[in-house]
Amino acid sequence: MIFVIDSNVEMADCIVRACENNEVRIFHNAIEAMQGLSGELPELIFMDVMLTGPDGFSFLNELISYEDTSKVPVVVASALDLEKYNLDIYGVVGVLNKDTMKPEDVRKYVTKYAQ
Amino acid sequence: MEEEVNNILLVAAELKSPLATLRQMALSFDNLDSNNESLRDDMVVVSDRAIRQVNDLMKIGKLNERLFEMEPVAVRGVCDEVTRELQYLFHFNKRDLFIRYSNRARLVTANYELLKSIIYNYLLNAVYYTGDGVKSELVVKDIRDKVRVLVRDFGPALPVDVWREMKRGFVEKPTSIAMRPGTGGLGLYIASRFSRYMGAEIGAVRHRDGTSFYVDLTVSKQARLF
Repeated sequence: MIFVIDSNVEMADCIVRACENNEVRIFHNAIEAMQGLSGELPELIFMDVMLTGPDGFSFLNELISYEDTSKVPVVVASALDLEKYNLDIYGVVGVLNKDTMKPEDVRKYVTKYAQ
Repeated sequence: MEEEVNNILLVAAELKSPLATLRQMALSFDNLDSNNESLRDDMVVVSDRAIRQVNDLMKIGKLNERLFEMEPVAVRGVCDEVTRELQYLFHFNKRDLFIRYSNRARLVTANYELLKSIIYNYLLNAVYYTGDGVKSELVVKDIRDKVRVLVRDFGPALPVDVWREMKRGFVEKPTSIAMRPGTGGLGLYIASRFSRYMGAEIGAVRHRDGTSFYVDLTVSKQARLF
């Protein structure tokens, strides 16, 4: 299963479409996504940083604070220029720039972590 | 004036997310026939350009905070990167680009991102105003103690009022005074703001069959090391 966390509904849908046949749960804010972690853990998370309410880094801090969720790979898809920052400590395995990313960029991570 | 610019920046910030979303939606179309695939590609190209200009406008808002470091920049490297990125656009629009480097001084004092944006905007302008099968030119050459990056297009001549404003070295704002047919002069305005930040000078030469836009950059003191 894959989590997609994005306050922009249409953008979240685009990422879901790129995930093709995988089971996907969509969350539009960090609080819903944190609650979602109490069920089955995802194999991969795609998330934006600028979210309605608590931001993506609040979610990442929560994620890495638990032993089990800290191992979930996260791909940040953001309009911010984050590619030059090292986000390894948050379990971030990749950064996608929303201005330039393509569906195949999403699929690359899906193939690697969720299939 | 400052308030007007701030409003422009505010609008730019608001447009960024919808443009990126539209681009993603266009890219989401699969299994298209060749006509629709071409339409999809058009949508992506147009939104790419718009996103780029919005990002440039947002950079203008950061100029006052002095966030863009000035450093020795290999000017040919910047030109190579921009032309590589725009290669598909020239090809897509059936345009040719002739590149000529003759500068001896390789390093200029600039900010890499801002210089890249200026050249990008000039070349976009050339794609827009040059007809099918006609070549544009990108030239890098020495002009006394400066390095000039020049883009020559073969479109309608630049209106004399815009030329006069560019001769003064600064385009005040993206209004009709900076217009050639079909544009609000946004690219020139962006180039103007970025060049002023870098202590560079922009200008334009009117030709009977088009316009050359240029930016004159200060040679880096480290140039002699290379």
